[in-house]
Amino acid sequence: MSNSVIIGQYVPGHSPIHRLDPRMKIAIIFIFVIVIFLANNWVSYSILTAFALLSTISTRIAPSFILKGLKPVWFLIIFTFILHLVVTKEGDVLISVLNFDIYSGAIWKGLEISLRFFLLILMTSLLTLTTTPISITDAIESLFHPLNKIRFPVHELALMMSISLRFIPTLMQETDKISKAQASRGVDFRTGPIKERIKAVVPLLVPLFVSAFKRAEELAMAMEARGYNGGEGRTKFRELKLKKADLFVLIFFILVLIGFWISRS
Amino acid sequence: MTKQKKGFRTIDLTLGALFVGLMAIGANIVVWLPFLKVTFAGATVEITLQTFFATLAGLMLGKRLGAFSMIVYALVGIIGVPVFAGMQAGVAQLVTPTGGFILSFIFVAWVSGWILEKRNSSTFATYVTASFGGLFCNYMIGTTYMYFALNLWIGGSISYTTAWAMMLPFLIKDIGLTFLVATLARVLVKRVQFSIKPFTA
Repeated sequence: MSNSVIIGQYVPGHSPIHRLDPRMKIAIIFIFVIVIFLANNWVSYSILTAFALLSTISTRIAPSFILKGLKPVWFLIIFTFILHLVVTKEGDVLISVLNFDIYSGAIWKGLEISLRFFLLILMTSLLTLTTTPISITDAIESLFHPLNKIRFPVHELALMMSISLRFIPTLMQETDKISKAQASRGVDFRTGPIKERIKAVVPLLVPLFVSAFKRAEELAMAMEARGYNGGEGRTKFRELKLKKADLFVLIFFILVLIGFWISRS
Repeated sequence: MTKQKKGFRTIDLTLGALFVGLMAIGANIVVWLPFLKVTFAGATVEITLQTFFATLAGLMLGKRLGAFSMIVYALVGIIGVPVFAGMQAGVAQLVTPTGGFILSFIFVAWVSGWILEKRNSSTFATYVTASFGGLFCNYMIGTTYMYFALNLWIGGSISYTTAWAMMLPFLIKDIGLTFLVATLARVLVKRVQFSIKPFTA
């Protein structure tokens, strides 16, 4: 389990999308998400859908796998569609089921909102499917860099993200170990009132805190011993560089946007 | 902890990251303690300790670092690491009606830290006030977000009261938990402050 935690939703691969600069991916997806809400006729929706599907195919990840990853939101999408079918009362009555009318406007509205949802979630999940959390963190540091001007600690944010990526699996293993250790000592609150069960958290939390704080302290000490001195003047092992392919993708995306803008009514 | 307006120290960074890890565990505590799945008012409620750890972050790290580490928590989840409840991750989690709760933790940590710093005492009453301040933020933001999510982008039409009624069973559970937070936090803050003090000086 802890291995799957550290790579997140990332699926290793060498597709063009995998090799794109993470900053470019974030920027494109960010703009795409805003643009979804500006679409207002079927042509503009088709353009966006085509772009999303093209991106999905270019990742070379099995579509069934991507769809499976969207599982938690399928419910939301279907729920939204049904809700609109029931609530919206525009256009002509199409079918009447048990004195209940379904309007043509309702189907369109429902489809529209569900499609928006689907595109939004599909595109954002493409980012996490093709990019490791570490490179997204690097990209965030680079993209948010201007925020340094308003004294928002961008470097610290990125570093804290990287450290927590390292901490999460360790702490999970630790929790695993402690809960087993306590169980072997006879901690069992499976039965009894809720209050007693909640109290059972304490024998888990106290050892966890002890080891976790020790870890944090040791890491800070180790970092300072190696000369960590804040973000100022720090160089990087992994440098992000825009490549030719990134520019091609950018130009393509801009063309898509222009096409989209013309097709809007 | 002493007030510092300047940048974070190294220990602050690692402690902040630590709380991100603790949040990840708190969100999924039922994985390790399956008995925390309780049936309440006909519905199975999985107890999460997210509010607990968010409040604790505010109380132990102070309002600034506490809130900062909760921003990191939200970001780490968004970039695809399964740290949200039910081992979930991704932007999709923010779009769902309960996404507001993830964002609310930032304010939970800030408010509880702020109350503690304002009161500047370590009585049980202070901790209870701070914890309830955090809980208040949690539900105000979370439920309001849910109301807007359901009405605006899902396009339903529920009243604000209904949204609150939906959250009521959880609220009752959390009020109970809050007293535990206050008790535990007070003990922990004292002990851990002591252990990291030589470093702070």
